[in-house]
Amino acid sequence: MTTLSTPPPGSTNRTSASSDASDVFEASKQAPSAASSRRGVARVPVRRRGDTRFVLACLLPALVLFAVFMAVPTVNVFRMSLYTWSGFSPDMRFVGLDNFRRLFDDDQFVRAFQNTVALLVVVTVVTMGMGLFLAAIMTRQRLRGRNLYRFVLYIPNVLSVVVIAATFSAVYDQENGLLNGALRLLSLDGLQQVWLGNQKVVLYSVAIAMLWQSLGYYMVLYMASMSSVPEELYEASALDGASAARQFFAITLPLIWQSLSTTLTFFIMSAVNLSFVLVRAMTGGGPDGSSEVLLSYMYKQAYTNSSYGYGMAIGVVIFAFSFLVSLLVSRATRREPLQF
Amino acid sequence: MKESTRTAVLAAARTLVAAACVALVVTARTTVGWGHLLVMLAGLAGLLALLAAYNRRFR
Repeated sequence: MTTLSTPPPGSTNRTSASSDASDVFEASKQAPSAASSRRGVARVPVRRRGDTRFVLACLLPALVLFAVFMAVPTVNVFRMSLYTWSGFSPDMRFVGLDNFRRLFDDDQFVRAFQNTVALLVVVTVVTMGMGLFLAAIMTRQRLRGRNLYRFVLYIPNVLSVVVIAATFSAVYDQENGLLNGALRLLSLDGLQQVWLGNQKVVLYSVAIAMLWQSLGYYMVLYMASMSSVPEELYEASALDGASAARQFFAITLPLIWQSLSTTLTFFIMSAVNLSFVLVRAMTGGGPDGSSEVLLSYMYKQAYTNSSYGYGMAIGVVIFAFSFLVSLLVSRATRREPLQF
Repeated sequence: MKESTRTAVLAAARTLVAAACVALVVTARTTVGWGHLLVMLAGLAGLLALLAAYNRRFR
């Protein structure tokens, strides 16, 4: 686990990300004269022109790929949001911010936005909470067969999202589905639902599939972080009379905070994308748009409704929202790393 | 008030506020409209504020 964010006293920043191959090469040549460096004689690395060219040549393919597949499409999303275009014809008309004004009168957009926020909050809270809880149990409690549990919980992450969507569509099937079948078996017929056809429950049916898909992955990540916490800390706190819950909040949580912070930011971004794939494969946004999320609505507008410019305006809103929430989460969870 | 009691009360209050924020998001979703969307975003902001408040003493 990375520990200190500041370099130890007396060290230089030679191995920082900004140093390049020539610096390392020069540093290796200067190694015998380390004693003189310690006496305070500063040596400036000599950067040769050939080295710089070699580094640039190595970076060029990655930079070109980044520009072609990331930078240009992103700029195009912003640009196209100012135009009205069917997506096929050569006629593009500049309309300024009209596409964004249309968003204010679009109830379907508002509903998709509400569904996205609901999924983001509910799935994130439940996934992170359950992931931490299960990881703590599997790491701290010596459960018999815990490797099997870990394997079973991790499997959904290996599966394709479309396979998961098909599996859950079968589970939620009204007549022959596993869920309604189990409820019938337990004589709980009153609880039976049309899980993917009822406007009130359809979004939560999708949320459960999202949770099932991502829980194992985050649990394994937290387990890896927790297993690196020194056992002596738990032994010392147990001698002081700390309960398991107290140990979790006072030792485990602070020591895995960096991992928690990173995964939380990562999950928020991936949840927006995952919700699109699952909604698209399970419900298509229905019934009557009640499970529509922002990305699926954008896709519909841009590629089915032939309103490419309007779709890109929705894309800009998604970008701004995801960016803002990720930034706020990153700021809210920022903490000085602990050394252990 | 004893330190341990204070900590327990604070933890309970935080849990209640977090549950209230999630409940706000879930209940506001049932009606479509900009006002309800803002309520949901307020719930999300409440959760983030709670996270920041918990994390503040460790910075």
